[in-house]
Amino acid sequence: MVRGKLTLRHAAPWLLLALTSLPAGGGTGTATETLSATLSPVGALTTPATATLSKTTTTFLPFTATVPVNYQIRTTPTGSGGTITLKVASDFSPSGGPAAASGALTYVCSGANLGTACSGTQTASTTTSTPVLTVPASACTGGGGSCSSQNPNSMNLAFTLIDSPVYSTGTYTANVTFTISAM
Amino acid sequence: MTKKTTLIIVACALLAMAGLAQAQTGTTTLSVAVAAEASLTVLTGTTTLATTGTNFSIPFTGTTNLTYFIRTTKTGGTGSLTLKVTADFGGTGGPSVATPPSAGDALTYTCTVSSPGTAATGSQTASTSASTAFGTWGANASSTKAGNTASAAWSLTDDPVYATGTYTATTTFTIAST
Repeated sequence: MVRGKLTLRHAAPWLLLALTSLPAGGGTGTATETLSATLSPVGALTTPATATLSKTTTTFLPFTATVPVNYQIRTTPTGSGGTITLKVASDFSPSGGPAAASGALTYVCSGANLGTACSGTQTASTTTSTPVLTVPASACTGGGGSCSSQNPNSMNLAFTLIDSPVYSTGTYTANVTFTISAM
Repeated sequence: MTKKTTLIIVACALLAMAGLAQAQTGTTTLSVAVAAEASLTVLTGTTTLATTGTNFSIPFTGTTNLTYFIRTTKTGGTGSLTLKVTADFGGTGGPSVATPPSAGDALTYTCTVSSPGTAATGSQTASTSASTAFGTWGANASSTKAGNTASAAWSLTDDPVYATGTYTATTTFTIAST
């Protein structure tokens, strides 16, 4: 009887080593392997490549767009949980139009099916990351039970961009970077 | 010995990684098309026309104040502000825009439009059948974020044939930009 204990984490280079140490030749043998997976906190998210801010009237009401955020997350029991934040990585360009740096771009979070969406109206910033979602410790995406039943999890951000008469006509684009982190 | 050392190093590295925060990012490009627009706010919801005269020589007068908001296309853009009497003075025996009781009776107005707009020149006669000029602006024009001011100074003939009473009419302002 050969008894081995194996710790497996993602890729286990010693698995092959342990297996090759089993006795060769005839006879009957029983091998017991204890597989132990150590799972690290992980976060992943997807957002649409582009989102168009639009409106149905031409009377200086704000432009709006809803951006879905899909995410998967696993947090540790002892960690501080996870977060999703956003930051305007590059402001609207070309010049002459709206500017997130002046506070023209705001958003409201809703519909998070794991964690807590940001509350109230947030003003997107080009200099600091602003909250989107907080996830508690011991949270995980998918599978039901102590984890969420949805996989991936999802939420929505409703962006609002002020429409000012001083903006010149034209098309403007800005990049918003979402960051998910898990502990 | 070498294998053991390697395994210990790998194990230590994995244990250290287990407590690290994991982060990932995604980027969305927000796009907005800013087009020509126009809107206005009538500040004087009800303008009372009154006269200080007692011998029919001084017309009824009053002023309606507006705030207008505009943005026109950089090249070839234009815009205008017009008005039309959409409901004539009601009642019988009083003033009328469509069918004045006496020749020369009229509801007229003079305009004031702050830059970038240009007011229609002279006295304009209001009409129930056609929109009449108030102001215009050109390409690449924009109001301030708080809007720009405009006003109409009204004048209504005081005709002796008008029966005493209170009469009301409705005027609609229309603003447009391209």
